[in-house]
Amino acid sequence: MTRKEIVEKILVILKDEFEIVDPDLDINLTEEYEFDSIDAIALLEYLEDFIASPLTQEEKKQAMEIRTINQICDFIESILKKRN
Amino acid sequence: MERRVVITAESAITPIGHGKSEIFNNLIHGVSGVKKLKTEDDLLSKYLHSRVFGSIDYEITYDFSRKFTKTLGPVSYYACQVAKEVIEQSGLDREFLSSGRVGVAYGSTHGSPTVQRHIYEAFFDPERRGYAKINATDYLKSMVHTTAVNITRMFGITGRVISSCTACTTGSQSIGYGYESIKYGLQDAMICGAADEYDTTTVAVFDNLLACSTAYNDKPHLTPRPFDVNRDGLVVGEGAGAVLLEEYEHAKRRGATILAEVIGFSCSNNGGDLILPNADGVKRTIRMGLDNARIRPEDVDFISAHATSTKMGDIIEAQAIHAEYGDRPHVSGLKSYIGHTMSSCGAIETIFVLYMLHEGVIVPTLNLDEIDPRCNMVRHVTKIIEKEIDIASIQNFAFGGVNTSLFIKKWK
Repeated sequence: MTRKEIVEKILVILKDEFEIVDPDLDINLTEEYEFDSIDAIALLEYLEDFIASPLTQEEKKQAMEIRTINQICDFIESILKKRN
Repeated sequence: MERRVVITAESAITPIGHGKSEIFNNLIHGVSGVKKLKTEDDLLSKYLHSRVFGSIDYEITYDFSRKFTKTLGPVSYYACQVAKEVIEQSGLDREFLSSGRVGVAYGSTHGSPTVQRHIYEAFFDPERRGYAKINATDYLKSMVHTTAVNITRMFGITGRVISSCTACTTGSQSIGYGYESIKYGLQDAMICGAADEYDTTTVAVFDNLLACSTAYNDKPHLTPRPFDVNRDGLVVGEGAGAVLLEEYEHAKRRGATILAEVIGFSCSNNGGDLILPNADGVKRTIRMGLDNARIRPEDVDFISAHATSTKMGDIIEAQAIHAEYGDRPHVSGLKSYIGHTMSSCGAIETIFVLYMLHEGVIVPTLNLDEIDPRCNMVRHVTKIIEKEIDIASIQNFAFGGVNTSLFIKKWK
């Protein structure tokens, strides 16, 4: 999966499920869109569906530090790399 | 120090409409909100003997942003909508709502059963694949105090939270405890009420207790029939109600429209059986309420009876009313219009009484065609009466042996 495909998919999830439209990839989602811990947990479920693989507790804890879309994409890339 | 408490806003979502105009019009025209129970949703409906329900079968337009909807189950949609309408009607500003002097007393029977069913699916999956889906969001949507705290969250309310969950006395306790919070100076205003969403759990419970109406499945509008000789049990319903209680001087200072005054409240328990109606418990609660309101029985003009339409419950309530009030006050059972909306019945029935106080009419018990001789010792209302009510009492009783009496007075 290319970086472009990952970005596109994340933007679709953010638009459809969190009403976040055309965000800057490096903007702090919490500060700009009130993306809170409840949203973060929900996003992890969508990410698990996206990569078709459950995340471990450690991976989830790691993900809770994420603040920007580029960081989400980095996270996905690292998980996919680890799984392959 | 005791302070006076007034009602300065109200809103209800009921099986006979949403908002005063529609609801009052249906009350005075004797329109029933009881419909056939939905059977296409796989919620055991087709196995139940009772096939009637007080349904919200109209669209409600919600204007809540996703920031708030992510923690709302169906019950909290109802609760937040009536709370929103109450706040808008009252004109209270955000600064006051967030001052710590405004609280919320709001509850439901058991949170959101719709969301709880989703959670419990994980337990019945043999491979437990869904366990990770039991998340914080579903808990926030379904927990017992979900209505109260979603109201505080949406409107930035920072005062006390009381979330009763005493089944059919939830709404009346919310108003009563809100009244006490203001009366004794703990808060200056309280948003009070209760809500319940569509669910068949309580239908099944009462059905298995042989307490649900089954004889009118093909003619839902003819049931429930409080105090009628042909009543055959209660009809479960859904709905929500909210009132804004406010300290009198505060309301007066800001020029608020005062709808009525809350003058007394009592709550007691039967201290024994959790199901059977108890005449001594009801009588004691009435006496405690009259004492609390500092009025005499003859001061009460109208009683909104709990009157679920069960065989024994209606008889015991009529006897208890007669024992404490004689046959002077008019008595109506307002569940005859909407069914038993469970937790919200006390709040909705209080709002119906507010409409009657305001409009100078008393609406009858619907379907009361032939009064059961065993209930015929009180002054039943069988047709609409044009009459000013000065003081009214709203009675509610719940599983668990909980009894409440609330007293409101017309504002002049």
